[in-house]
Amino acid sequence: MELPSAKEVGAAANATLPRMGVRGITVEYPGVRALDNVTVDFTAGEIHAIVGENGAGKSTLMKVLSGALTPNAGELLRNGEPSTLRGPRAAIRAGISMVHQELNLVATLSVAENVLLGREPTFLAGIAVDRSQQRERARALLDMLGAKMDLDRAVSELSIADCQYVEIAKCLASEAQVLILDEPTAVLGEHEARKLLQLLRRLRDEGRAVLFISHHLDEVVEVADRVSVLRDGRLVARFQRNTLGMLQSEDGMIATEDTLAQAMVGRELGSIYPPKGSAKSGATAAIELIEFGAADRSRDISVTVFPGEIVGIAGLVGSGRTETAEAIVGLRRPVGKIRVAGAERTFKHPRAAMRHGVTYVSEDRKGRGLHISLSSVANMTLPSLDAFSQFGGARIDAVAEHSVVMRWINELAIRCARPGLPISSLSGGNQQKFALARWLETRPNVLIIDEPTRGVDIGAKAEIYRIIAALAQEGLACIVISSELPELIGLAHRVLVMRQGSVAGEVTREQLAEPGCEERIVRIASGLRAERQETHE
Amino acid sequence: MSKSHTGMAVRMQRFLEHWGVLVAFVLLFTVSAFKQGGDFLSIENFRNLLNQNAAVGILAVGMTLVIISAGIDLSVGSMVVLAAAVGTTAMNALIEAGWSEPSAVVSGALITILAGTAAGALNGALIVFGRIAPFIATLGGLAAFRSIALAIAEAGEIRSQSPTMFSALGRGGIPIPFAENSAGKALTLSWSTVIFFVVAIAAQWFLSRARFGRQLVAVGANETAARYAGVPVAWIRFRVYALMGALAGVAGLVQSSRMNSVSTAQLGLGSELDAIAAVVIGGTSLRGGFGRIWGTVAGVLILGMITNILTISGVSPYWQGAVKGAVIVLAVLVQRGSRA
Repeated sequence: MELPSAKEVGAAANATLPRMGVRGITVEYPGVRALDNVTVDFTAGEIHAIVGENGAGKSTLMKVLSGALTPNAGELLRNGEPSTLRGPRAAIRAGISMVHQELNLVATLSVAENVLLGREPTFLAGIAVDRSQQRERARALLDMLGAKMDLDRAVSELSIADCQYVEIAKCLASEAQVLILDEPTAVLGEHEARKLLQLLRRLRDEGRAVLFISHHLDEVVEVADRVSVLRDGRLVARFQRNTLGMLQSEDGMIATEDTLAQAMVGRELGSIYPPKGSAKSGATAAIELIEFGAADRSRDISVTVFPGEIVGIAGLVGSGRTETAEAIVGLRRPVGKIRVAGAERTFKHPRAAMRHGVTYVSEDRKGRGLHISLSSVANMTLPSLDAFSQFGGARIDAVAEHSVVMRWINELAIRCARPGLPISSLSGGNQQKFALARWLETRPNVLIIDEPTRGVDIGAKAEIYRIIAALAQEGLACIVISSELPELIGLAHRVLVMRQGSVAGEVTREQLAEPGCEERIVRIASGLRAERQETHE
Repeated sequence: MSKSHTGMAVRMQRFLEHWGVLVAFVLLFTVSAFKQGGDFLSIENFRNLLNQNAAVGILAVGMTLVIISAGIDLSVGSMVVLAAAVGTTAMNALIEAGWSEPSAVVSGALITILAGTAAGALNGALIVFGRIAPFIATLGGLAAFRSIALAIAEAGEIRSQSPTMFSALGRGGIPIPFAENSAGKALTLSWSTVIFFVVAIAAQWFLSRARFGRQLVAVGANETAARYAGVPVAWIRFRVYALMGALAGVAGLVQSSRMNSVSTAQLGLGSELDAIAAVVIGGTSLRGGFGRIWGTVAGVLILGMITNILTISGVSPYWQGAVKGAVIVLAVLVQRGSRA
């Protein structure tokens, strides 16, 4: 029979050296240490899960393993030997394949063509593709995965789940011995996710090292043979299946969804958070969302934010937080209603939202939030340029503009010696302050700020928190979207938790002050069973 | 290779990236001076260089703005001939209808510019509202606009019916103080050159000092980020193509008044390539988001000087295209570095 033999292969491979590993890996980005002295092994015949909050360093670790990033310190081991990988192609040649979250398929090519992309069977001395062989081999690989699909269909017509199978078949075609998957189940439904986990087990049993990132802790507990927990770039806990089949850490802790969540977030809230003020009671709501959502991405979100209030929005990446915010300011097609200061509004463009005092600071600072190649001045005044324009825009009042830029530099303590230089020359924290200041200059009543401290060092983080808290004190209504739970807990008056496009729960101000509230949020966000305190509604 | 050596190389590279156009300009200027002797250094010669290249220069300035917006306009040559054909035909019709010469010439001039603007606005509408890639939309314009001009004149020439005023616009100018030619006659700077300068200075102003320029650069550097910052992206992009059309109209007016006629098969033929070449030589990034008008002006003059040198040296006109092509590619290579 097939099953026992596969297990034997797995056992034999287990006895050998780890397929791959890293020793003391450190990766630094300007202002941030993304990985700090991390050591992990990945053994053949094992499923190794990497968990951690967003920003804990998981993706950076994947990049190092797949050759996309060279670490500042530490070494990469292959079959026990130190080695280097120069670029993803070298990694693939070395038998390491990665399935990215955003799949890397050529949409216009067929399934068969995608599976064997770059390794097409040829004839006539390599100048012609052997179509029948191409189909045959693609068929064999997909059969191995238990995936049934039309080989001639264009990938653009496939479901996301099928695309994922094509991507994995592609890895197998490159004879990958180490398979890395970045949140493979994030985009799948329940049933599809089950099938995929089953497949991962099979790939393991055939002697491959399978490595996956997941936010779904239930999956991790169920399927992983080994779990590494990253927090703030450090490896903080390791679990391994013991003889009883339970995941156990070195100090004897048993991994459950709870203990994993604890290990992920287990950090103290320092004093980097300013004291929370109170919302203006009795005032008109600054903004009300009524059964609001971004078309096809989120729905049924009803929330009221008063002047002076900071409402946090938590949720996993992909839960529709950013899309909802973008729909509010007219960057996406909205569904439902928005009321701003009591009047119903629909914004077609961020400019229209801005005129009514509603502004959105993007999470993607480099791609959307700022023009990274332009000067700090140009970035700072771009949204409020009308205020500096004279003669119908024929002249920008450079003096007024300069003084406004200098005022914000002083007010937010931005370290920027020469505002005329490209903003890319500033640190992440200072860039973020400009990204915030450019919208504050438009004198908003509602500020939606998405990942306010992404890629920002700890000092600047504290300053940004202080700024947000002070603005709220002055009567600004703030919606803070963040994947960093301590930030939401430390800053917000209450937190909405989004899951799969709608609000899955709300954590009140009192609950935010209770211990164990991070876990509560993680549970709601990952759709776990409601726990005891969660039931008083 | 020693470290200081590579340091030098890097600095050299940076320098050329930035100032390569000027270096090339000075080099060519010197070569021209030696080639043509004292004559070249005369004001008269330089004036001629400007006069000959003013129309392409006006187009190149507009093209700089289009390219800064991360777009391209292949239809400029065809817009030139269409605008000139429509404007001149209208002027002739007005003269025949008994209008006085000044009012007919002025109306004709305005109609020329308006026709160009309309053609450019059509490009802009297709690109912005029809969501057609600029390359494709203006490729359509390249074919269509000239075809309309050819149809208007049945592929022939449209002669101006204005007895003196129209050609005075093309041939006249303002006297250059203390400058006279070898025959002792006072030299004039042609109106076309004056217009070229005005257009270039205005464009430079708008690019660096006006709201439109700021927003244009923002759109070209990162359209998504511009949208997120509340920049009216569609309106900006539409306007830059309409403006390009207006400038094509101005170039059409300059050319037709100089010839005192419009040759529908020849006028503006291939000038889209000259304009784009001048922009590229001038160091404007084809990726958008960065550009400089003075570089384009230098680029126009460089191309002009190359043509002059080749002609004086007796190089066959058939080979001139090859040399120009080599210069364009070389310019891009030298300026590559960080931007291209």
